[in-house]
Amino acid sequence: MGYVLAIPLLPAAAFAVLAPLSRRLRNGAIAVSVGAVALSFLLSIVAFVATLPGGHEAEAAYHAFVPFAHVGDAVLGAGLLLDPISASMLLVVTLVSLCVQVYSIGYMHRDERIGWYYAVLSLFTAAMLTLVLSDNFLQLYAAWEVMGLCSYLLIGFWHEQEAPRKASLKAFLTTRVGDIGFAIGLLVMFNTAGTFDFATVLHGMEWAPQTATAIALLFLFGAMGKSAQFPLHVWLPDAMAGPTPASALIHAATMVAAGVYLVARALPIFEASGVALTVTLIVGSVTALAAGLLASVQHDIKKVLAYSTISQLGYMFVALGAGGLVAGMFHLVTHAFFKSLLFLGAGVIIHAAHTQDMREMGGLGKHLKVTTVTFTIGSLALAGVFPFSGFWSKDEILTVLLHEGHYVALAISLLAAFVTAYYVARLWFRVFIGPQQTSDLHEAHNEMLIPMGVLAAVTVVVGFASPAFAHFLGHEGEWPALGMALGSSAVAASGLLLGWFMYGRRTKVINTRAIKQRVDYVYGALVNKLYLDLTYEYFIVRPYQRHAAWLGRFDSNVIDGVVNGAGRSWRALAAVGWRFDASVVDGAVNGLGQLVKSAGGRVRRLQVGRVQTYQGLVVGVLVALMLWIVVKGV
Amino acid sequence: MSVGPLHFMALAAVLFSLGLYGVLSRKSTIMTLMCLELMANAVNINLVAFSHYRTPALMTGQMFAVFSMVVSAAEIGLGLALVLAIYRLRKTVELDAMQELKG
Amino acid sequence: MLSIIVFLPLIGVVLIAMLSKERESAARLIATAVAAVDLILASLLAVNFDVTGGMQFIEKFDWVSGVGIQYYLGVDGISLPMVFLSALLTLVAVVASWKIEVKPKAYFAMILLLEVGMNGVFMALDFVLFYVFWELVLVPMYFLIGTWGGPRREYAAMKFFLYTLFGSVFMLVGIIALYLQAGTFDIVALTDAGLSPTFQWWVFGAFFLGFAVKVPVFPLHTWLPDAHVEAPTAASVLLAGVLLKMGTYGFIRISLPILPDAAAQWSPFLAALAAISIVYGAAVAFAQTDMKKLVAYSSVSHMGFVMLGIAAGTAEGITGAVAVMFSHGVVTGMLFLLVGMVYERTHTRVIEDVRGLSSQVPVAAGLMAFASIASLGLPGLSGFVGEFLSLVGAWRSDMWPGWVIIAAVGVLLAAAYMLWLVQRVVLGSPSHAVAEIEDLEPREIAVLLPLVALTLGVGIYWDLLLRYVDPAVRGLTALMGA
Repeated sequence: MGYVLAIPLLPAAAFAVLAPLSRRLRNGAIAVSVGAVALSFLLSIVAFVATLPGGHEAEAAYHAFVPFAHVGDAVLGAGLLLDPISASMLLVVTLVSLCVQVYSIGYMHRDERIGWYYAVLSLFTAAMLTLVLSDNFLQLYAAWEVMGLCSYLLIGFWHEQEAPRKASLKAFLTTRVGDIGFAIGLLVMFNTAGTFDFATVLHGMEWAPQTATAIALLFLFGAMGKSAQFPLHVWLPDAMAGPTPASALIHAATMVAAGVYLVARALPIFEASGVALTVTLIVGSVTALAAGLLASVQHDIKKVLAYSTISQLGYMFVALGAGGLVAGMFHLVTHAFFKSLLFLGAGVIIHAAHTQDMREMGGLGKHLKVTTVTFTIGSLALAGVFPFSGFWSKDEILTVLLHEGHYVALAISLLAAFVTAYYVARLWFRVFIGPQQTSDLHEAHNEMLIPMGVLAAVTVVVGFASPAFAHFLGHEGEWPALGMALGSSAVAASGLLLGWFMYGRRTKVINTRAIKQRVDYVYGALVNKLYLDLTYEYFIVRPYQRHAAWLGRFDSNVIDGVVNGAGRSWRALAAVGWRFDASVVDGAVNGLGQLVKSAGGRVRRLQVGRVQTYQGLVVGVLVALMLWIVVKGV
Repeated sequence: MSVGPLHFMALAAVLFSLGLYGVLSRKSTIMTLMCLELMANAVNINLVAFSHYRTPALMTGQMFAVFSMVVSAAEIGLGLALVLAIYRLRKTVELDAMQELKG
Repeated sequence: MLSIIVFLPLIGVVLIAMLSKERESAARLIATAVAAVDLILASLLAVNFDVTGGMQFIEKFDWVSGVGIQYYLGVDGISLPMVFLSALLTLVAVVASWKIEVKPKAYFAMILLLEVGMNGVFMALDFVLFYVFWELVLVPMYFLIGTWGGPRREYAAMKFFLYTLFGSVFMLVGIIALYLQAGTFDIVALTDAGLSPTFQWWVFGAFFLGFAVKVPVFPLHTWLPDAHVEAPTAASVLLAGVLLKMGTYGFIRISLPILPDAAAQWSPFLAALAAISIVYGAAVAFAQTDMKKLVAYSSVSHMGFVMLGIAAGTAEGITGAVAVMFSHGVVTGMLFLLVGMVYERTHTRVIEDVRGLSSQVPVAAGLMAFASIASLGLPGLSGFVGEFLSLVGAWRSDMWPGWVIIAAVGVLLAAAYMLWLVQRVVLGSPSHAVAEIEDLEPREIAVLLPLVALTLGVGIYWDLLLRYVDPAVRGLTALMGA
């Protein structure tokens, strides 16, 4: 089964080929990238079939391991683990990636840097496939970070403009805040277990509750960053500045679901902790509701979908927090399909309407027939309407909550479902119904419509796989209870009705402005994204910038000042020393010389230069000598 | 009166003193040289006189005197040659004009 | 073998010195050839190295037999990557500065002389020899900065020289103290000298001053930005790539095995300084307006991770420290080269003036983005290996976990300053200074490619580096535990 290795390696090879040539290739880049992911998709089907009939999550259909580092007693390595969870993720990732890449042929064909675009998409696909095939948390973390880089590159793809540049930086740094938590979680895990392998840390050992809580909460923090959970969700709406197909792949279907995947994988640790599950549940339900409300006030079609993604990811966390691995994973799968479908549809709509603002759209339904159909399917799935996939997975989550007795979470989830249905209706009626505001509408080309058709087809049928999926993951699978199905359908229907009531009727009797004014503060808070962006801006980003600048000055003035001061005072001291040296020490030497010199000056007067004077002296001395001899007598 | 060694010595002393005076006071180099010759000859007189009275058989003093006179003659020759050279250089033989050694 | 590697560049220096003035451009060819041969020899060393064999390729002779000074060279798994790094970066530095026009003879001679000192430091196993090479490094670097540097070169060169000399004087005191106590200059033999903890504490302090200035550790780091900003590109590469590592290498080779008790006592202090260096360097780097200064302060931050691993004293920590040393040499070398290449074209290093490289010079921009991403520690590239391992090691040690968490936050801050740099310099539409510049020429790409390959290679297959480091570190920790 070595072909499993080829699944992530093919897109990686495509990246390796495309990255250096990205400036020169256009059609070639498309061929290489799409070809690689298509092959990966085929191999994923083979791998999926090989894992059938599934059954036990701890038993792998295929496991390979290559060590890449020996440190102390530990052996770190890269592994491939093909089990039911990863097999189903493989299918999702490769299929969505294939659809998005084919769609991009049409969507991006005018862009100069299409080669680079495809290179990054390939790298992303490779990283995501590596992530789902990981057999250890270190490799998972590595792939996780590489995906973050790809996300950064794609959000900032049109970097000549200000907004994408800012959004890409914000996305990378916000998710990295979460990654710090993940990384510290890895440290704690390694400190206790001495390894990152799933086999050991998930199934092979007993975790002390405190350690498990620490690891689980830190992992959850990482997942919150990546999966844009409240309050680290702020980057995802801004990330919509990137190309729409990239948003569909990365910021709807796959990368943002990586956090969910992480929690799903680490669920045994969460269960060993207990507390962490509750926290997951709280985070998930708060996010599901808050993001749903935020989606209800957006006017940008992509931002509605972005908040919707956050909200749906919240659902998955709720499911996992209640211990519902199957429900969470199933919602991940269905959501990946219908949300990428919605994003691709939104791309067509934006191309057609030349705007992202829903207030400037309307009446598109008559012109974009295929898009309307597929988008409607996606919308109904998102709203949770029978028989589309969202209905099934949402019902499963609600059932889990009911079974586990999390009634508060259940109530919040139902409320979130209501809100979801409402904003879906709001979106749909505003875009497709009503007066047409732009002329010259045209449907997209086939290379964009076919992927949407494929995803729509999957969205229609995949829901019916619900019990089979549970069996595949090794759990009891049942059809949803009729009562729950009816209840959730009623909630969805009432949400849709409200949306229709407010936006769908031909004669507008509801004055939305009046409602906004009535609940001014609520609406204001929602429009301002619950003031979180402002909070971060004013309490984290700007203070950091200020303090960094202050530290920069501190460094050059104070710390370096001390050094320079030491240097200067030493120089001053040296100057003093020099003066002492010059005046006193050297003065003594010079003084002696002066003395000799002046003495010499006096003596030299004797030296008159006249021979006869010398002779006179000699004679005088001689005479004196003789007198002395005579007087003293020898 | 007979002539004794004292007379010779007195003569030599007078001659020597005359010479010394001349050496110290004459301005001309040539005069100085001549006075130097006087002093040397005063010494010669003493040499011959002492030899004659003390050791008449040996004639040592006379030999020395003759030798000394030869040397003096050479000396004078050399001295006059130098004076001539100086004269060519400076157009004067005045001793006072030669003060290069003044410190 | 080792002596040849160390002193071969000296032959190059002599050859360059014999060149006549008219043919001084041949200096670069001689320097390139000598550096290339040295790199090949260093690679052979790595190939023939027995990873489990401890200290190898030993050359040991009496030098000054009266006081027991030896000529003692050898490499183990910790010094081998450093020798390779200095040989590689010397070649890179030589080729990168082919276009130097001011006194090329002296310039290339200085770089080769520097290589002698650097390799010597990493191979010397006798304290006196170590100290000689250590000081030898100062001289060529002083001239490189002071002669071929920027406008404030004299100030920077003097500061660099005096600051490091200040530190190494204390080191000399430590060496003499050790000699007086144990009666030998032999670094290997001193590991089981059985020194008293109090004595160790003081000697550790002396060595600390010597090494910490070189690393540099906060707050002894301020010579670094000045030296980097003024230094010519090649000198910056060698300064950041190799010279800084001499400090941390000193800690690993000398302080830890010879003074294990003191290392344990000093550990909390080192950990605090390391964590502060990481966060402080990152924050100050964030505030810089000069590209070179930003990279210089990022070095302070990255070297903090090395110090963290050393403070941890665990196998993972020290392995991580060596890995950061290696990776930082490669990645920061790349960054300095690219900043230098951009500077040659735009004549400015001010971040605000350089914008939109990616539209105008895609190759340079791509490599710069690559180096920045490697520098911020993305998994799959070499920067991650060491930083992650030193964090693991620090967490496993008994230091206060708060320092580890602060250090982990430093990873986030690294992403902030690096990506902000990318955002301002690489992305956007070209600014006036960038508008008409040419992309990299083949020679410059050839200089960078080996560094790119190493970054990828070590980042993906850690054992490429760790197979040398890990056994040596295990031997070291065994010594420390005993």
